[in-house]
Amino acid sequence: MLKSIKPKKWVVAAYLAVPVALYVFTVFAPLVAALFYSFFEWKGGPVKTFNGFANYAQLFSDEVFWSSFWHNIFLVIVCIVGQIGIAFIVVLLINSKVTKLQGIHRTFGFFPSTISAVCIGFIWQMIYDSRRGLLNYFLEKIGREDLQKVWLNEPGLVMLLVSIPLIWQFIGYYMVILLSAVSSISTEVLESAEIDGATGIQRARYIVLPLIKNTLLVCITLCVAGNMKAFDNIYVMTSGGPGYSSMVMAMYGYKVSFEQSNLGYGSCISVGIFVLALAVIGGSQILMNYFMTDSYDRREAKHLKEIEKERKQAIKARKANK
Amino acid sequence: MAKEMKMTKVEDNSAGTRVKRGVLTVVINFFLWFFSLTCIFPLFWMLYSSLKEKRVFNKDIMSLPKEPTLANYTKILSNKDYRLMQSVGNSARTTILSVLLIVIIAFIVGYILSRVDFILNKPLYIMFLMGMLIPIHSLMVPIYIIFSKMGLSNHWYTLLLPYVSFALPMSIFLVQGYVKGIPTELEEAAAIDGSTFSKTLFGIILPVCKPILVTVAIINVFSCWNEFSFALILIKDRALYTVPLGLKQFTGQFSSDYPKIMAAMLITMAPIVVFYFAFSKQIIKGMVAGAVKG
Repeated sequence: MLKSIKPKKWVVAAYLAVPVALYVFTVFAPLVAALFYSFFEWKGGPVKTFNGFANYAQLFSDEVFWSSFWHNIFLVIVCIVGQIGIAFIVVLLINSKVTKLQGIHRTFGFFPSTISAVCIGFIWQMIYDSRRGLLNYFLEKIGREDLQKVWLNEPGLVMLLVSIPLIWQFIGYYMVILLSAVSSISTEVLESAEIDGATGIQRARYIVLPLIKNTLLVCITLCVAGNMKAFDNIYVMTSGGPGYSSMVMAMYGYKVSFEQSNLGYGSCISVGIFVLALAVIGGSQILMNYFMTDSYDRREAKHLKEIEKERKQAIKARKANK
Repeated sequence: MAKEMKMTKVEDNSAGTRVKRGVLTVVINFFLWFFSLTCIFPLFWMLYSSLKEKRVFNKDIMSLPKEPTLANYTKILSNKDYRLMQSVGNSARTTILSVLLIVIIAFIVGYILSRVDFILNKPLYIMFLMGMLIPIHSLMVPIYIIFSKMGLSNHWYTLLLPYVSFALPMSIFLVQGYVKGIPTELEEAAAIDGSTFSKTLFGIILPVCKPILVTVAIINVFSCWNEFSFALILIKDRALYTVPLGLKQFTGQFSSDYPKIMAAMLITMAPIVVFYFAFSKQIIKGMVAGAVKG
């Protein structure tokens, strides 16, 4: 029995050449290019001047960049709580025995995540609009006209307001992922818990939650990665305004590079986005691994390690004796 | 005996529990319908509002149209200057070509990486896997620089390059995992029958891999149709605008005419909405598979 199929080398090379070349050209070459241009003062014209680490020095003290970074982090946290939290509750409700028409809820709930972020942005712009918007319309109908605002012009509120469409759009996405995980839990487990008198909330906390832990981790990772690259909605709804109060990293990079045509500093920001996004994603992984393995597991792992160590020492000692 | 006792306890049908159960049913279903309707409501709002005239809409934004009119649609579809239909065509072309390329390339590379033993196998696998980690928005500026320097911007094929490349890591990963689950006997039998590598690849493996390739295609149809940021920086020629760009242009032009904007949005959303509601079950299944395995 052959372990793998053995075609001629040139056949493999011929099949792989184009995909690999394409991939390197559009993914890795730009990374190198960004790093290269980040050392230049370059406004897009023919003149480029090497300026060492000046761009990076500017980046480190650039308040707008760091505030956009924190806006990204804000989005990540709000969306983890909002998207995955609400999705989890909806999943529990959909899975309860008394629910009818589960398929319709799933289809409707997932619908917003199939629409382009640009459309979502426009829809919510219409909702927030001050004169013809739905939000102010409802406030008027319930007689609270004093609360009406030009919503997207409020620097203190705008981050929350732009995160609501993001949350709304992707609840359904996390809902279907969690739903597939929950439906793979055997009904026997849940039924026996019910017979033993566990309430719905207890079942959710002590049976469902631990059993879908891995899927939850996937969801959180997707959520972190997704919100570090927030761009489309914000470009459409506020372009980072008013002022810089809803600026996110990708939006700032775009503004600097294409509206101020400062491509050198823009490349530097790109490198910054690359490093920070990877750091946040990696950091969140480490945090999750720490919190998700409970103290019992950690003690267990430590214990096993010690046993293994002793065993190895014993083997070594025996070999030495021989 | 004890078991029977418990069974009767669970199926307790006294009036109190029945009322409790009834209330619970109403509350849970109410919340779910509330959730579902908020998800779908904007679509309905846009649908019936697009049948109003601007003047009527501005008077009352919520009411149903008393005299529904298709004027917004006919205006958009008949006026060539809006270029909206052109953008739908561009998006359709870009999406179809990208998805085809993604499926073919992911199939070939995924298969080779999972079955053929050669020196670059591991490095290539790691290279493609790393692509899943790279935050693509950090590539916007350098891709713009490279593409405009090499004259690759503003062509009908421009967007295929990033769309295909960015989709490859996850697609290859999915195919690779799937091929691992196929027994090698298939290829061995083919080899004994004298089938060449390429013949086996396309004649025997391709049909077996159909389910995963459909999943790959579904995931990428949506992302290609909806992609905005790279289209924004790489396409400046209005004749080549994709749907999100066309919409942005259109709404800028008619920022105060909401019914018209809604009609435009619905026209550009139509293909994807029809596709979604026709195949929602398979689409949701595919998206879940892509998210969980990828």
